Amino acid sequence: MTREEFLIEFRKRGALLAPAPSRQNIATTGAILQGMQAAMLPTALSEFYAACGGIVHGAGYIFGPSEISRGTKHPVPTIIDINREMSHIPALHGKTIFGRNDLFFFAFDAFGVSYMLDNLTLRPLRKYNDIYHAMTDCLAAGKL
Amino acid sequence: MQLSQASAEKIMKDMCMEDMPLISMQPTPHQMPADWFTRYKKARHSFMQSLGESIEELAFMNLSQEEFMDLLMGRALPANTSIRMRVPICWGGEISPDNMFMCSTFPHSQNIDRFIIGQAGNETIWLPAPAKKIYIPAHTAGGGEGGNATEDRLAQMAAQFAASRGME
Repeated sequence: MTREEFLIEFRKRGALLAPAPSRQNIATTGAILQGMQAAMLPTALSEFYAACGGIVHGAGYIFGPSEISRGTKHPVPTIIDINREMSHIPALHGKTIFGRNDLFFFAFDAFGVSYMLDNLTLRPLRKYNDIYHAMTDCLAAGKL
Repeated sequence: MQLSQASAEKIMKDMCMEDMPLISMQPTPHQMPADWFTRYKKARHSFMQSLGESIEELAFMNLSQEEFMDLLMGRALPANTSIRMRVPICWGGEISPDNMFMCSTFPHSQNIDRFIIGQAGNETIWLPAPAKKIYIPAHTAGGGEGGNATEDRLAQMAAQFAASRGME
């Protein structure tokens, strides 16, 4: 699946797509993640951020470099905030969380491999070589 | 490190959920039934439809009319809300609306995940157990002074909901 196919699909499904952040913001985000025992941004996610700063689809979220504000609702935190809050958890060392829904977290490792993790035990339940496939599973479960 | 009730409550307090009751359990991994996902989806919809009896909590969620109707008809959750299992399915929790509660995704559901993950490997796990179907922290549920806007809004919504269900 390409970035464009993925974005067209979720636009069609009525997801909220945040505006793309600046290149500088993406680079800074990658550098901060590297400094906190998380995995650095894989190329595919950097390219995704160049077109979209995160997605909300019901209870499914792809976190971006900037907060996603939603009027009076609590904003969706940044990928940095989410990973900073969880950086002390040994099971997440070497991984970066980039999405969540009511059942699972989604993370990538230093090799760019993505995982579906149980949201309470962080046990890997599924492995993805294609981050768009992982993002699709993450967001699809946001509207059950 | 094993948490005492006091230390678990302290963590919840630090997450601004000091009014969240906690229960303890000894987690034992359970085999997930093969049809768990289908049953989970069905239970979520039933849970949403059962929220008509939580009208007081719904009033504090400041929902639009459309969100309110979608929720009670079991069609869609309002933005920034999560449905959580009281006892997780993987630890033997029943896949039933009675084992569910609703709260905001950010910050509450995300913080509850962190609270439970932080207890990994412990013999006893503390789990949030809100008294009602919808958890709204006490500090956000305080009413304003005077006015009947909430009451009017509720009456209007209740009438519309009843009409859509063919009730009198």
